[in-house]
Amino acid sequence: GDSWGIFAFLCAALCHLPAVPALNGTDELGAGQSIQKTYDLTRYLEHQLRTLAGTYLNYLGPPFNEPDFNPPRLARAERVPSATVDLELWRGLTDNARLAANYRAYSRLLCYLRGLDGQAGTAELRHSLGHFCSSLQGLVVSIAGVMSSLGYPLPAGTAAGPPAPAGTPATPNDFLKKMDDFWLLKELQTWLWRSAKDFNRLKKKVPPAVVTLRLEARGF
Amino acid sequence: FPLFPAADPAVISPQDPTLLIGSSLTATCTVSAGSRLRAQDLYWTLNGRRLPAASYAALGATTLSVALARLNGSKQQSGDNLVCHSRDGGILAGSCLYVGLPPEKPVNISCWSKNMKDLTCTWAPGTEGETFLHTNYTLKYKLRWYGRDNTCQEYHTAGPYSCHIPKDLALFTPYEIWVEASNRLGVAVSDVVMLDILDVVTTDPPADVHVSRVGDLEDQLSVRWSSPPALKDFLFQAKYQIQYRVEDSSEWKVVDDVGNQTSCRLAGLRPGTVYFVQVRCNPFGIYGSKRAGIWSDWSNPTAASTPRSERAAGGCEPKGGEQNSTLRRELKQFFGWVKKHAYGCSNLSIKLYDQWRVWLQKSHKARNQVGKDPF
Repeated sequence: GDSWGIFAFLCAALCHLPAVPALNGTDELGAGQSIQKTYDLTRYLEHQLRTLAGTYLNYLGPPFNEPDFNPPRLARAERVPSATVDLELWRGLTDNARLAANYRAYSRLLCYLRGLDGQAGTAELRHSLGHFCSSLQGLVVSIAGVMSSLGYPLPAGTAAGPPAPAGTPATPNDFLKKMDDFWLLKELQTWLWRSAKDFNRLKKKVPPAVVTLRLEARGF
Repeated sequence: FPLFPAADPAVISPQDPTLLIGSSLTATCTVSAGSRLRAQDLYWTLNGRRLPAASYAALGATTLSVALARLNGSKQQSGDNLVCHSRDGGILAGSCLYVGLPPEKPVNISCWSKNMKDLTCTWAPGTEGETFLHTNYTLKYKLRWYGRDNTCQEYHTAGPYSCHIPKDLALFTPYEIWVEASNRLGVAVSDVVMLDILDVVTTDPPADVHVSRVGDLEDQLSVRWSSPPALKDFLFQAKYQIQYRVEDSSEWKVVDDVGNQTSCRLAGLRPGTVYFVQVRCNPFGIYGSKRAGIWSDWSNPTAASTPRSERAAGGCEPKGGEQNSTLRRELKQFFGWVKKHAYGCSNLSIKLYDQWRVWLQKSHKARNQVGKDPF
């Protein structure tokens, strides 16, 4: 009730925290758990991706499945959001910006992943792809949950939209499509590595101090 | 990673061709106008392996061709990767080669209906050559004499070449069923198979399979089960089959002439042995048809053991005679002993007998410590 709000405000003032949005006592406790869950989900997906990527690249055939394969990144491939970012820039991201970047990236990656060859290889491969997409969808929802529990609005225009933004030509030939697929999987892998660090950072920043102070206050 | 401008660095021709196994191909790689590369700066790879320079030919300053003869079926269904590289290994362009055979008529269409509710069909591809290219199979069916063509939707339910029709199946009128195969090189349609759902009915394995001993009989087990519940409202005669094996063997013995009963006694078994038993059912003569149906799966194995025989290893005497023979043996030994140790019968007394019994006990103990009694 009111007493919690006042208490939270006092804590924010004392600890120089960013403005605490009006919320009830359970929201930030919930955010902490959601962040942990999201972190766990990124590790799980990273593990799943290793197997899926191996199988899919074998389907594309050599040289795509060779360990040191490094094809040119064509301009059209830029539509896949890149996880690579300057270190200082990354450290300086606000929580909101950090979460929004993750949310936008995975929403787009999910769309492109769903557009992967529907006839690809064996029924087993198609099944693995489908399963991975479901898990990735779960990650997107999880990130949205964290954002809303911290009071941040979801980035606009990233709801399940068309696979390619208007103006991008469809891949003109099968070989270029294979290269696109390769880079999609690579970028997905990089994002999952990065997200683990993003959520680790967020874990530390969702103030546990607020949580423990509240628990002490309960003892009054 | 190097970023290329929107225009491609090179163009390959033909781009993503489809070819028959055994055919030959000459491909060209033309470097784009703005590039500083020349034909002699290029080389080719196929599926990651460098192609021999002997198969190259320069067709002008900026075009290098390669000749590929007697192509084998594609290494992967996504197409063989033919790539044009610059001298330093960089990829300039690529083309996917689809090498295979047109499909042949799918064969061996076989179908079964579970409890007359659905229909599952399997088939085999006409030739192995179809596996080099992605081949699409479509199962179609229609009621004989009327009805329109229907297409099966649920594939791969019973292996890669299978389809499942879950509902809206009619009885008493035969169906015409066929499979169409198509890939990049052509289309093929199987022969039409005609069948009546009632002739291909199978059911669930029998339920509640119980295996128990028959009193103390060491070589028999009694098996009981109930008829599969799904068909209980339908007029049919069930036929059953039992198979059983010893726990540590993989050889099943089959009992074939079980007929219509829901119990059976297995005989001639080994005493003191664990047996695994399974039962399956054939819905014979549904709605008066004279035809056999299709055997169900075997029920989950049920285990039971035959009683162990009382005659343990080595024991040959019947139970009743044991005590008598022990006494007689003892007496024989006693008289022999008396002959040796007692001169004349005057010393024969109960004391002597007791002494003897004590002696007998001591020597029995010693014998047991050394090894098993030979009896």
